[in-house]
Amino acid sequence: MRDILSMKNLSVHFPVKGGLPFVKRGVIQAVSDVSLAIKHGETFGIVGESGCGKTTLANAMIGMVRPTSGEVLFNGMDLCKLSREDFKKTRRQMQMIFQDPFSSLNPRFNVYQIVSEPMFIRGEDDEETMTDRVVELLELVGLSSEDLYRYPSDFSGGQRQRLGIARSISLNPSFLVCDEPVSALDVSIHAQILNLLVKIQEQMKLTYVFISHNLADVKNICDNMAVMYLGKIMESGNSDTIFKRPLHPYTQALLAAVLDTTFDEKREQIILQGDIPSPINPPVGCRFWQRCPKAMQGCKTIPPEHLQVEEGHYVACHLVNGFPDVRLPDRYDAPVDGSKK
Amino acid sequence: MEPILKLRNLKVVFPTNYGVIRAVESVDLDIGDRECVALVGESGCGKSVTSQSVMRLIESPPALTQVDAIEFNGRDIKDYTPKQMQELRGKEMSMIFQDAMTSLNPVMTVGNQIDEMYMRHQGDSKKEAREKTVKALELIGLPEPRTRANSFPHQLSGGMRQRVLLAMAFACMPKLIIADEPTTALDVTIQAQVLKTLRGMQRGCGTSLLLVTHDLSVVASIADTVYVMYSGKIVEKAPVKDLFNSPQHPYTVGLMAAVPRLTDKKKTFTQIPGTVPHPARKPSGCYFHPRCEYATDKCRKEMPPLMGQGGGREVRCYYPLTAGGNM
Repeated sequence: MRDILSMKNLSVHFPVKGGLPFVKRGVIQAVSDVSLAIKHGETFGIVGESGCGKTTLANAMIGMVRPTSGEVLFNGMDLCKLSREDFKKTRRQMQMIFQDPFSSLNPRFNVYQIVSEPMFIRGEDDEETMTDRVVELLELVGLSSEDLYRYPSDFSGGQRQRLGIARSISLNPSFLVCDEPVSALDVSIHAQILNLLVKIQEQMKLTYVFISHNLADVKNICDNMAVMYLGKIMESGNSDTIFKRPLHPYTQALLAAVLDTTFDEKREQIILQGDIPSPINPPVGCRFWQRCPKAMQGCKTIPPEHLQVEEGHYVACHLVNGFPDVRLPDRYDAPVDGSKK
Repeated sequence: MEPILKLRNLKVVFPTNYGVIRAVESVDLDIGDRECVALVGESGCGKSVTSQSVMRLIESPPALTQVDAIEFNGRDIKDYTPKQMQELRGKEMSMIFQDAMTSLNPVMTVGNQIDEMYMRHQGDSKKEAREKTVKALELIGLPEPRTRANSFPHQLSGGMRQRVLLAMAFACMPKLIIADEPTTALDVTIQAQVLKTLRGMQRGCGTSLLLVTHDLSVVASIADTVYVMYSGKIVEKAPVKDLFNSPQHPYTVGLMAAVPRLTDKKKTFTQIPGTVPHPARKPSGCYFHPRCEYATDKCRKEMPPLMGQGGGREVRCYYPLTAGGNM
């Protein structure tokens, strides 16, 4: 199937400003050298801990952040090279659902204003058409026409997230980025919103990018996925394959850290040491080596490439792919002492 | 065995412009010696108000609190003066808050903040206190404790800040620790570290723990006894294994089914219909009946009492699910 969106060697770096004069400024490497392809009609998951660059990557996908290098192709067009006019036209097709339903809705707008604003911006000015469309959207997301003139403060978290969804699909987009759409919601509402997203996807033939730190959500909703750590993709491919046979030590640790509501005492617990390092000075070699339980000497200096291990399953790890130069001295395979930081 | 904490008939009410909010309605809570009790519920169910009432942190006004007894370690602290409570807090019962960034003082080094505990409650000199602080930080698993003690909260990561709070809570070896959503703000890998430390410390120090959380998976990994709260009332109480193997209240069953699991089928999510009732507009009868698939006329009219089911289990439902289903 055709790719709706593809990224080639995409990097997004932010300069660190301020501080004392004459102090060397740093660069936050939020996303570095990411190549991914998202197919038409699929749900693509991006998983990672906070600060790993998930949201920056998503923002770069829909052109909210300019990449430092590399390109983003939406239906074959490079978003950065489009003229202002063309970009506006293309952007109509891509929308976003935000994480926090409390801060992403204007508290001074009523439901009608919130949901019709995208149409208004795109030049629609007939009140009646807009009202009809808004009511139709509200019914689609499980609200009713009675709510038309109420304000966000009258709604609960789940209902607000429904409003956010109605707003994002009001222009009939084909590509929707869901940035942690359920992590701010309660458990019992969580499933309702996920079911709604699945329903809308079927009805409107949408392509989703689903960002989450909840692995169970990603497994259940996504067709393909990528695991991010410190701005790099560690593992990507079909989500069933990855969950069945995670190859990267980071993916394995993430899976092991998911607590379950069942009692399985035999389950292997990998508890990672330490915290995620700062993206200002990321490690030179593999970004994960300092916390990796299986790190080898070579991981410190040689960054692993993102290589295909089996059909559609990519892993960036020396343990799986082997070191690039087979004639390297064998000390590269020596394990790193875990206590050294 | 005499419980460490015995809370009887706690009621907390907030009069507001929108009507009276009955945040907590007749809650009884027992925490045994060295036991980890979890209080589970969704946001707005009154779990935080309950836990803060135990430490008498709910101010009145605005709140109106009524309680038959708060028996802590054999004494009834319900009528303690603020001064007496100050002596108790930190020394015999202490609290771990959810957001470590806002509960630490940003302009004091973390070392100084922990030192205060020893200086205030054990009358140590600055020097003795610092020695103990370093030891406590080491115990909690913070790398380079002596240097870390001189850092400010913003220089530490989220996981480390939470560890500092743990060290502070355990500083005076209290009898009871109340942890209010201790891992909610953390990433999964860090959550696993912190929970392991918390469990280890609790066992090591012989402390009782009241864990307030909305996350059932955290409960499954650490608690001994679980209380499930809904709309200000306890709806089910059970030992953790029984609760997860055979939940009896329809709300508990729904809550468990709604937690996404790695073993679930694709693209289908079990949901509880409807939403939590507004605290000022609670329904008649059983508060859960509008969302319950088993509700009858009796449920719509009368609030069911908390009924004992044997084996330390209690459930507030006329028709408890005995089979447990295949949840």
